[in-house]
Amino acid sequence: MTAFDIGLISLAAMCLAVSAGMFVPIALMACSFVGVWAIKGSPELASKLLALAANDAISSYFFGVVPLFVLMGFVVSEAGFGRDAFDVANAAFRRMRGGLAVGTVGANAIFAAITGISIASAAVFTKIAVPQMIRHGYTPRFATGLVAGSSVLGMLIPPSLLLILFGILAEQSIGDLFIAGIVPGLLLAVFFSLGIVVMATLFPGFVGQPQGQGEPRETPAILLAKAAPITGLIILVLGGIYAGVFTPVEAGAMGAIGALGLGFAMGRLSLKSLWTVLVETGLVTATVCFLIIAAQMYSRMLALSGVPAGLGSFATEAELGLWGILLIYCAIVIAMGMILDSSSIMLILVPLMLPVIIPMQVDLVWFGIVTVLAVEIGLLTPPFGLSVYIIKATLDDPNISLGDIFRGAAPFALIMVLVLALVLIFPPLATGLL
Amino acid sequence: MSQREKPQQDVFPLRVLDYVTQALNVAGSVLILLLMVLVGLDVAGRNLLASPISGVPELVTLSIVAIVFLQIPAALRQGRMTRSEAFPSWLHRAAPGLGKTLATLFDLVAMALIWVIVRSTWSILPRAWERDEFIGAIGDFTAPVWPVKLILVVCGSALILLFGARIWRRFTR
Repeated sequence: MTAFDIGLISLAAMCLAVSAGMFVPIALMACSFVGVWAIKGSPELASKLLALAANDAISSYFFGVVPLFVLMGFVVSEAGFGRDAFDVANAAFRRMRGGLAVGTVGANAIFAAITGISIASAAVFTKIAVPQMIRHGYTPRFATGLVAGSSVLGMLIPPSLLLILFGILAEQSIGDLFIAGIVPGLLLAVFFSLGIVVMATLFPGFVGQPQGQGEPRETPAILLAKAAPITGLIILVLGGIYAGVFTPVEAGAMGAIGALGLGFAMGRLSLKSLWTVLVETGLVTATVCFLIIAAQMYSRMLALSGVPAGLGSFATEAELGLWGILLIYCAIVIAMGMILDSSSIMLILVPLMLPVIIPMQVDLVWFGIVTVLAVEIGLLTPPFGLSVYIIKATLDDPNISLGDIFRGAAPFALIMVLVLALVLIFPPLATGLL
Repeated sequence: MSQREKPQQDVFPLRVLDYVTQALNVAGSVLILLLMVLVGLDVAGRNLLASPISGVPELVTLSIVAIVFLQIPAALRQGRMTRSEAFPSWLHRAAPGLGKTLATLFDLVAMALIWVIVRSTWSILPRAWERDEFIGAIGDFTAPVWPVKLILVVCGSALILLFGARIWRRFTR
């Protein structure tokens, strides 16, 4: 058996173990350990590889700021800036058909500019938007599906943890990636909103019978007071990055400090809530980073087996062309999204794909946006749609099943496929601002 | 998500293990807060006083490994570690015995793998200590690497015990 065969078998074994319900990082570690042992014939070497990866895989400045981006997301939601964004966006779209739903998308787009993780958006808007939408006559299925769908904006509109991860993997400028995410992110928000209006008109059975929201309760002065802190945070985070005051990597810490300062100053945070947020941040960070460590072990094993290089030469010999490869790639990413979470998919696939597409003169910033879009579709597809699970857990309502949320999210996943196709066909959508 | 067991239902060693897990979790959370302050001071120092704090990237680099390993036992205990639930929950309904066996097998594999990591890290720990291994640049800022390796060994051991506790709990109730 050649090293290449072992690599392929380990890929299959990993998929099997993950589907069978093994913890994903453990499955990755097990496959890397056995894989290296089989390739090199030495269990000693295999255990050294595991230990080395555990010690140094995330030991870099870039990974070091992961908890700070997570912290920023949770502080911003704990301080109630998500509700402010919701109220402001809602006031803007009040008169439209499906205005509350469009307002939720708008609020997510605003919120995305002050957080770098989708899970924060999914959790916040489940609490704020879903009850209000159901009260105003939307079906629970549509309301939860909408929140799942629009939560992906958090990863596309900068700052974004996934874009940082891609930047590290592909050695691209994170600042460039952030700029490239803006137009596709806004495009997605616009398409979501158009989709809502169309669905509300054509499929009232799916959307429900939204009632009018009556006269606005908030005066312009109150709305302005709500918009000000969010605007301030956006200016602090994005302005700071592009004015060169701090790097995109430091933006997480600065955003968290800014949100903490505002939250305490406005009396919205207490030491107790800060502690809750810190513990939650730690748990999310540990889960994500442990996965990253395991995925690094796995990709080192794969590199030893020669599978990435083999795939590269296979792709060139098969003369699939750039389009063939990109379409297959997107299909695999979306399929993997059904069982894995976003960062694992990127950690497994991007190192496999880079040797294939770099010789084809592809703009890697554009490729990064394509990857993140495709990966995020997986957040909405069963059986393992992370956003959907978070909504289900946050909602804690036995009357709304996982299946309901997945069905509600389906149209939004389709709209994402449409935007992905647009970005594939018109690369300037991503790279135009650079 | 997490099946919340009441601590008093557990035998004494498992309760101790839960306290240790919680203590590690607290240490990790405090470290995150320190990290935020550190990066903030660095940015402020650089822009306002034109004097960056030396060693911030090195400290961030070291502490992320510590943070992850301090928190991962708590993440496992609270049922937060990533996995696909579809097949196990089906198997648990269709054939509970088989489901338990498979889950136990998976836990044993996890224990073995973490043990491999802990053992190999343990064997390089004395060397890191004796040779005074560090990161950073001499004359500017250096930090020893052994504390992080020690944290990895301690937390890895806790993780092994927690996987064992999962098996114990699975068969005692």
